[in-house]
Amino acid sequence: MNSKFKPGLVHTPITPFKRDHAVDYDTYAKVLEFHIKNGAEALALPMPEGEDMSLTDPELRQLLEFAMKQVKGRVPVIAHVSDAGTAIAIERAVHAEKTGVAAIVSHPPYFWHPKPAMIVEHLVRIAASVKLPFFVVNPPIESVGATLTSAMVLELVERVPSLAGIVDAGLEFVFMEEIMGNTRAKHPEFQLLAGQDYPVSAFALGGSGVFSPLSAIAPGLVKKTYDLCKARKFIEARGMQENIAELHHLLKEAGESGLKDGLGGIKTAMAAMGRECGVPRPPVRPLGEVERGRIAEAMRAMPYLAAEPRGW
Amino acid sequence: MGTAVATKFKLKGVMQAPVTPMKDDFSFDGDGFAKMVDFHVRNGAPAIAWPHHKAESLNLTIAERKLGAEIAVKTVNKRVPVSIFVGTLSEEDSLDIARHAQKIGADMILAISPYCRRPSQEEIYDSVVRIGTHTDLPILTYNSPWRNGEGVEFTGELTKRLIDRLPNYIGMKDASFHAQKYLEISRIALNMRPGFSIIMGVEHLLASYPLGACGSFSSSGAIAPGLCNKFFGALEARDWDTARDCQFKISRLWHLFKEQYPSSLKGAMIMMGRPVGPTRSPLPTATEERKKFLRQQLEELNILQTEPHGW
Repeated sequence: MNSKFKPGLVHTPITPFKRDHAVDYDTYAKVLEFHIKNGAEALALPMPEGEDMSLTDPELRQLLEFAMKQVKGRVPVIAHVSDAGTAIAIERAVHAEKTGVAAIVSHPPYFWHPKPAMIVEHLVRIAASVKLPFFVVNPPIESVGATLTSAMVLELVERVPSLAGIVDAGLEFVFMEEIMGNTRAKHPEFQLLAGQDYPVSAFALGGSGVFSPLSAIAPGLVKKTYDLCKARKFIEARGMQENIAELHHLLKEAGESGLKDGLGGIKTAMAAMGRECGVPRPPVRPLGEVERGRIAEAMRAMPYLAAEPRGW
Repeated sequence: MGTAVATKFKLKGVMQAPVTPMKDDFSFDGDGFAKMVDFHVRNGAPAIAWPHHKAESLNLTIAERKLGAEIAVKTVNKRVPVSIFVGTLSEEDSLDIARHAQKIGADMILAISPYCRRPSQEEIYDSVVRIGTHTDLPILTYNSPWRNGEGVEFTGELTKRLIDRLPNYIGMKDASFHAQKYLEISRIALNMRPGFSIIMGVEHLLASYPLGACGSFSSSGAIAPGLCNKFFGALEARDWDTARDCQFKISRLWHLFKEQYPSSLKGAMIMMGRPVGPTRSPLPTATEERKKFLRQQLEELNILQTEPHGW
């Protein structure tokens, strides 16, 4: 099991698009600089909030190469490599390794409604194709029938020597308890990273990092909450965690996707913070004027956003 | 709007929800139940709550539920507060049990909209308001969202409306066990009504206590009350290392008991010298083989050796 790489506070940048839906690299450079300047200890890209599923294979490779050149080693970059096809994902992981990324993170293969053995096999093969530390995302329940069980995680721990940890976006207490409780004796270096901006519960159970989409909007709040969790000041972190939950709820509920991915919401909120970065790529629908107004109004009523950076 | 009725008690700690002992012929064992309740109070339970799923609530007749409530109130004899669960398949029965709970001197009721119906948010609101305005007792609600949008789910918005409407609404039993769902309720309720009690349905407390949960309705307390009390003490002392040890141990217990709950739990209780009898059909009763396995597990967890035996 790989114990060396501990990514800590990981920001997960969005991917900006131009009006013609092409990747907007000028703005992407600004996005990456913003995250590095505002507390990212590592970057993971493009995660679901970076619309990875809407990018073609050549675009995914080009985006990663661009990011590596832009970041220039200032923080480690974790490449998100997920696909419905095992061989496609493997090829992309091999490419990512060549660009110099610090680690790979993968989702279970959505789309197939896979059986546990299929998911484990898929992930084992991707991990084995590279020499890098490997993280696996446990997706939220809304995702298409491909969440992990604690038994699957324990199988991965045994079979994947490079497995560094789980990025848990599922947020279930029982899952977190079981994976941390059952790995503690044999694999104390196994990492639990909160896969959405809910670090308090994960850290209390032994977690050590967070993949943060909301760092694009409120990086100060995200960083302070993370620092308190790291210092095991869980009770002191409660107020900030409630603020994060309020913001998360606002953005997640916006938009029409049954996935509740909040893609339209995040970009709308970023624009409200003075960081215009266009709208999501189809088929995700941009928010309408009414909904954008509602989000802007709700954000004005969140006093803790006043301290957050405006503009780039 | 956040003003609540004043209660004489404060809910805190690992509160015990006794199982319902049955005789070998599956009839309700009133004497055994009195012993069960007394066992919990003597072993540090800060409150008694009955009959939850663990007590086979839906498998008791309304008459048995009233009888059990009377035994619980009488046995506890005001040493700690008593909560009576009024959830049933028919809302009329819930009202009946709520009236009875008030009459016999229970301290509060726990309510849920009749489940098995996948009620809408409006239907849950109507049920809780109807039950909550039908009694003078403080009322808790039970959030029980199942994985696929089934069950009875209290959103933050619904909780807010109920706090606005009911001055006697004092808390939520939360069985979402999910950071986001938990926070949707807690961030609204705890700030709107100071003193609102969020009680976890099982001891998943390490993830929730820092976020304002005041305790749990216990699953493992029937087997390991000492462990439960130690766990809560560690949380209050912010001794996170001890708390983590206890949480992981309790999680292993929960893993043993959760299938066909409470069949295995009752089987394990018998191994701890508390003969609580069989589990009513359609749930199976733990077999001798299963009981032997449970005994081994309890021994491995050092519970058999350290926790109280017998009544």
